[in-house]
Amino acid sequence: MKLRLATCALMITAAFAATGANAQDKKALAFVVNGASDFWKLAEAGVKKAQEELPNYDLQFKYPEQAAAAVQQRLMDDLVAAGVSAVMVSAVDPKSSTDALNKVGAQVPLFTTDSDAPDTNRIAYIGSSNTDAGKQAGEIALKALPDGGKCIGFVGLPGADNARERIEGMKSVIAGSKVELVDVRGDDIDMTRAKRNVEDALAANPDIDCMVGFYSYNPPRIYEVLKESGKLGEITIVAFDEDPITLGGVKEGTIAATVVQQPYEWGYQGMKLMAKYLEGDKSMVPDNKLVIVPTKIIDKANVDAFEAELKARIGG
Amino acid sequence: MNRKDLGLLILILVVGTVVAIINPRFLSPVNLSNTANLIGLFGIFALGQAFVIISGGIELSVGSIIALLGVIFVDLVSLGTVNWSVAFAAVLALGCLIGLVHGLLITKARLQPFVVTLCGLLIYRGVARYYTDDATAGFPFGASFPTLEWLVAGRFYGIPHSLIAFIIITIIMAVVLHRSVFGRYLFAVGKNEEAARYSGIHTSRIITAAYVICCGLTAVAAVFIAMYTRSISPSSHGNFYELYAIAAAVLGGCSLRGGEGSIIGVVLGTVLLQVLQNLVNLLGIPSSLNFAVMGSVILLGVLADQQFYRTRKSVARAAG
Amino acid sequence: MPRTEQAGPLPAGLLRRSCMAATLTPIIGGMPHSFLALTGISKLYPGVTALDGVDLRVSAGEVIGLVGENGAGKSTLMKILGGVVEATGGEIEIDGDRVDRLSVNGSMRAGIAFVHQELNLFDNLSAAANIFIGREPLKGGPLRLIDTEALNRQAKPLLDQLGADFRPDTKVADLSLAQMQLVEIAKALSLKARLVIMDEPTSSLTVTETNRLLAVIGRLKAERVAVIFISHRLGEVKQVADRVAVLRDGRLVAELARSEIETGTMIRHMIGRDLKTLYGPPAAPPGHAVLELADVRTSYRPDQAASFSVRAGEILGLAGLVGSGRTELARAVFGLEPILGGEIRIDGRKVGLRSPREAIQHGVYLVPEDRKRSGLILSFRISHNISLASLKSLSRRGIVDGAAERREAEAQKKNLDIRCLDTTAEAGSLSGGNQQKVVLAKWLSMQPRVLIFDEPTRGIDVGAKNEIYRLMRELSDRGVGILMISSDMEEVIGVSDRIAVMHEGAIAGFLDRSQFTEENVLSLAVGRAAIREAAE
Repeated sequence: MKLRLATCALMITAAFAATGANAQDKKALAFVVNGASDFWKLAEAGVKKAQEELPNYDLQFKYPEQAAAAVQQRLMDDLVAAGVSAVMVSAVDPKSSTDALNKVGAQVPLFTTDSDAPDTNRIAYIGSSNTDAGKQAGEIALKALPDGGKCIGFVGLPGADNARERIEGMKSVIAGSKVELVDVRGDDIDMTRAKRNVEDALAANPDIDCMVGFYSYNPPRIYEVLKESGKLGEITIVAFDEDPITLGGVKEGTIAATVVQQPYEWGYQGMKLMAKYLEGDKSMVPDNKLVIVPTKIIDKANVDAFEAELKARIGG
Repeated sequence: MNRKDLGLLILILVVGTVVAIINPRFLSPVNLSNTANLIGLFGIFALGQAFVIISGGIELSVGSIIALLGVIFVDLVSLGTVNWSVAFAAVLALGCLIGLVHGLLITKARLQPFVVTLCGLLIYRGVARYYTDDATAGFPFGASFPTLEWLVAGRFYGIPHSLIAFIIITIIMAVVLHRSVFGRYLFAVGKNEEAARYSGIHTSRIITAAYVICCGLTAVAAVFIAMYTRSISPSSHGNFYELYAIAAAVLGGCSLRGGEGSIIGVVLGTVLLQVLQNLVNLLGIPSSLNFAVMGSVILLGVLADQQFYRTRKSVARAAG
Repeated sequence: MPRTEQAGPLPAGLLRRSCMAATLTPIIGGMPHSFLALTGISKLYPGVTALDGVDLRVSAGEVIGLVGENGAGKSTLMKILGGVVEATGGEIEIDGDRVDRLSVNGSMRAGIAFVHQELNLFDNLSAAANIFIGREPLKGGPLRLIDTEALNRQAKPLLDQLGADFRPDTKVADLSLAQMQLVEIAKALSLKARLVIMDEPTSSLTVTETNRLLAVIGRLKAERVAVIFISHRLGEVKQVADRVAVLRDGRLVAELARSEIETGTMIRHMIGRDLKTLYGPPAAPPGHAVLELADVRTSYRPDQAASFSVRAGEILGLAGLVGSGRTELARAVFGLEPILGGEIRIDGRKVGLRSPREAIQHGVYLVPEDRKRSGLILSFRISHNISLASLKSLSRRGIVDGAAERREAEAQKKNLDIRCLDTTAEAGSLSGGNQQKVVLAKWLSMQPRVLIFDEPTRGIDVGAKNEIYRLMRELSDRGVGILMISSDMEEVIGVSDRIAVMHEGAIAGFLDRSQFTEENVLSLAVGRAAIREAAE
């Protein structure tokens, strides 16, 4: 690793030099994400898998250097200018980027993933339904708290669509039961604040029964705080996504269960869908233009199998 | 303690009293202990920033250094190839080296501190992201480093060790800044570099030392913060932390023109910032208003201070 | 610099001459076209009379030489003309209309333009852009774009008129000093200036450049533009002036018509009083040379070398005109500027002084000219200022011994009679004289070998002045070598044991006590040629 650090500068230069030299004879399909995270590593693995099955295409996986709409937009414009044939994007800010996305969609077939932009001219959305995922979280809570209880949620950006849909989904399921979600605290994706939010929540509400981590890094922070304060096992944790700590907690039984998306499938199925579409086969696009890859509940029963699958995918 | 520090202390006490009245849990041992922990984490690098600001400069790369050194530290420790103490020494040395480079670029190459450290902000962030391939650096589930965890995240009768470290560093830095020859030279250089040079002070060495101290303390803070979050996503870890440091230093009476400031002021500034963050959560104020609350209270405090000072001056004048 | 009232009484004869000069004025200056008239202009600063009843008339196409010693009031008079400073008495008439308050804008409207010693040009812009700054021709439209072509087109005739040898679109940074002056003059012409005031315009020019500038003055004259030419170079004044006004101690002491302009006459009017040495000879004859400069060249005048030595127990006065290179030489000795050639010896040993720190290590200390900027940290306590250079000896293992520091400050306070309530007060709260004593205290708490004073009493009241002089003498009696740079003639003659006079980067000559007269100093200061002229 030290050696790696030392060669960083060299590698960066090399990387710049390499991007210009892509083969132009194959049709290029681009998968543009909204920022850097482990989550997208899985999608990248799915894209790699798809590449094996699509030798006639050049599949590209692109990270914008910043999770900003403008930066992502420029990246897409550059890709279109460089001649890619289709783009799949997880838009940073789908709501206010309608025009910009339409511009891309007017030039090449545009697909959305992760967060949809239904008002644009996108061909289809492929990804999870965050509302469904939220509902599954609600089911986990209902099951873990048969006598009801107070829950508090933690999330990065409470106003973001994916966060809101997950929260609404969960609320719709627990509505009418004795389980209630009393508050959701945001942290602006700052892990220090994420952890402090859990600490403060615990200090302010010592009688809390359940904590929900809506973004992938929230459950580990909940887990750590409860562990440090000796409340692990006393307070139910409902999780999203597959952070290693989260899976460890599930295995240990201290986290009730976690709702996972299948970014691998988005990458894999998404690329194949795009290739098919370019070849003229439009049958895979449903009428509502939503290709939903269902989210899964991972609990103690299936966690080992899930982890093995993850390892295989990221390792491969 | 001068007038400004006293005003800040009063502001902290007023805010604290109001919060405690609305939600008495503010004073619960758990909450105080948690807040103390964060004061320790943010205070350590705010002290460093104060040295640079007193020298008449600014260090904008603090957040990026915290991310870079954090991922390196977590990586070295979780791989288990080296002992954590070696990793700590390596990170500290790297921090000091970064400070040395900044100092030399500013004093020898005569670049503006703003430019040098702004470039640092971009470079270290980029390197940190490249180092982990943009992945989150963290410890595997169940990984445990008992001594290290006890040292940096442990609590002694509820007092977090980060606060104890912060207090020790504060005392050392207070002696360095307010009692040592170096501290006096630092104030002299920050206030009037020319007069300092005319008095035979090696001004470029003093300025460079300020950056070494700043980045060295930032390295210490980086380790504490890394062990607090236990997981670092290099693209967002430590974002804007330089602003917390600058805000704490300036609140504490450091002048951005250099040559002014005190350690006690910076400590109080850090305390206020963390109490404000705590308040947002405890009073159930929507998280999105976090920064707005922070900005408003600081602004009101500064205004009240100014107003109070003016009134007192005019009263004094009337009496005289 | 304004001279204090106590500058010594004027001999009666001189007073009479100045009255005569005043009565002469209407005859010489009262030409029909005089568009600017100053009558009885006075300027009082608290405790200082900078100008006292000065009359001056300016007519179209006339070149007036304005001469006087440093501090005679020339700058103040020019500042009043520029509207920067308001006169406290007297009248200004422009085109026959009385002007109560001349503002900067009013001065510009009246057609008065300045070519300053420090040029006020934007060196990142072209010559043409500088000439028309703020009045650029525009292309029209909402963006208000500058019409660069028109800009250059309009600038060209102005520059041609002055015989400029560069294009209007040349960047000012790429021009020589003389060329920049032409840009300033062109700017003045573009503003339809009727009077161009040139303050020491030739001080940094070569001989050829100077001749070209004098030719430009001729052309301005032909265009009916009046010129006030301020210079210490009396030869040049003699060459171009139609009339010379001599200022001394804020008074207009003589106006010389063209036929009366002689270097010797000008010098006599400029001095006009006897200055005495204030102190007797040193207690003991001077010892060995503590500081020696052998052919030292600085970047200021790389072609000129200066050599002199300061002996233990002596005060060497370094006189010369402003801009003769004295300060640069002192800066070089103190390690602030690199030495391009020659060597500096301290106690006979060659030393390399690359920074003030090294100079201080060798016992060479500087009391700088601008004490507020370079001598003191105004917001620091008095005691902290005093200890700033000697802090290491007042500390143990890097920690300052506060008690020792206070003791030292109190000792220095007593020793130098620094008047303050407490040494914990801010240095900025002290008067100028006491501030200077704090600077001195900083050095006296150490072991000085050589003390350099750059304008030691600038801006200090008379009482404190004498105290500073007394301290200098005490120090030299203790064996310290003192080098005193001063533009104050009274001070140079009154305090020095020996005077070295600088002229354009070189030592023009040395004077012993027996030769101390203002005339001798001034003759050397304006260049050896002046002596010859005076002798003629």
